[in-house]
Amino acid sequence: MNSCGEIRESIGAWLDGELPRAGADAVRSHLETCRACAEERRQLEKLNVAMRDALDSQAFHLDAQPFWHDLRRRIAARRPWYADLAEWVGPRIRAPSFAWAVPAVIVLLIGALYLDVIFPGWGVGSPRNNFTTVESIDAYGRNVALLREHESKTTVIWLYQNPDSENEALGEINDKGPAF
Amino acid sequence: MSAFQELVSRYQQKVFMVILGLLRNREDALEVAQETFFRAYRKIKSFQGGSSFYTWLYRIAVNIAIDAQRRQKRNPLDFRESMDDILEARNEVARDPFADVHDKELRVKLIQAINDLTPEHRAVIVLRTLEGLSYKDIGEVLGCSEGTVMSRLHYARKKLQQRLRAFL
Repeated sequence: MNSCGEIRESIGAWLDGELPRAGADAVRSHLETCRACAEERRQLEKLNVAMRDALDSQAFHLDAQPFWHDLRRRIAARRPWYADLAEWVGPRIRAPSFAWAVPAVIVLLIGALYLDVIFPGWGVGSPRNNFTTVESIDAYGRNVALLREHESKTTVIWLYQNPDSENEALGEINDKGPAF
Repeated sequence: MSAFQELVSRYQQKVFMVILGLLRNREDALEVAQETFFRAYRKIKSFQGGSSFYTWLYRIAVNIAIDAQRRQKRNPLDFRESMDDILEARNEVARDPFADVHDKELRVKLIQAINDLTPEHRAVIVLRTLEGLSYKDIGEVLGCSEGTVMSRLHYARKKLQQRLRAFL
């Protein structure tokens, strides 16, 4: 701990008397030789005094009797069940130990969706339709159907003509005359 | 109940001041202080004695105050009114207008800057500055390590220092 950056990070803790002896000695000797860090120390000391003054300025004496009277009334009154529940659930939900819960739930959900892929043949997971995809594209009176079948991994491309669309297309061609 | 009353009378002012330091509003602080002692009364059997009673009590108070702080998004006008109330209560508004102008301006700017800190950073500042708690005790109150306390204090002071550079 010799650079100005490291020393400045420790000046606050040093002023608080919270640095171990070796660290405190390093800060003290550095401050004796470095004017910039000594200025940092001066500013922090002034800030500490100003903070104490600012927070003390809010001092407000609490009357003991009315406070105790209100507290006794609160203790005697029955609280609704949901207030107790919220009080119990609140800290548990926010607890950092539950930080793993969100990714865990996401992984479980993904796992549930792909259970059949992970454990094939176990009969678990969502039932699969044999024909999973049928796409139809109308291309100038011809329809193109694409069927994908999962079990045999077969893809069938099916070209067919819809009589109605064929007539409409022919009509358009007839209206316009020969296309050559 | 009389033993509990004794505990309340011993700690109510300290607890109230910590909460007021976090919330900046007397009515809200009073409500949170009441709730703190109410919960302490209900949970007193769960106090194991592993930590000292006041860190246990402060932990309850700070948790409720931080929750309240997150819910309460006070606008600057409300904040200014609260500050004026506090200064008026101390008869400081009617004092000589030329006296302590610099200090008063610094004080108001500093309270505004503290108010803009995150609840966690404000909590370490209040517990260290008002109560003079050790990093270990602050860690127990906030449920974090001493290293985290040191880092939060450093960051919070840095923020305040940057905001108040013209006054320091």
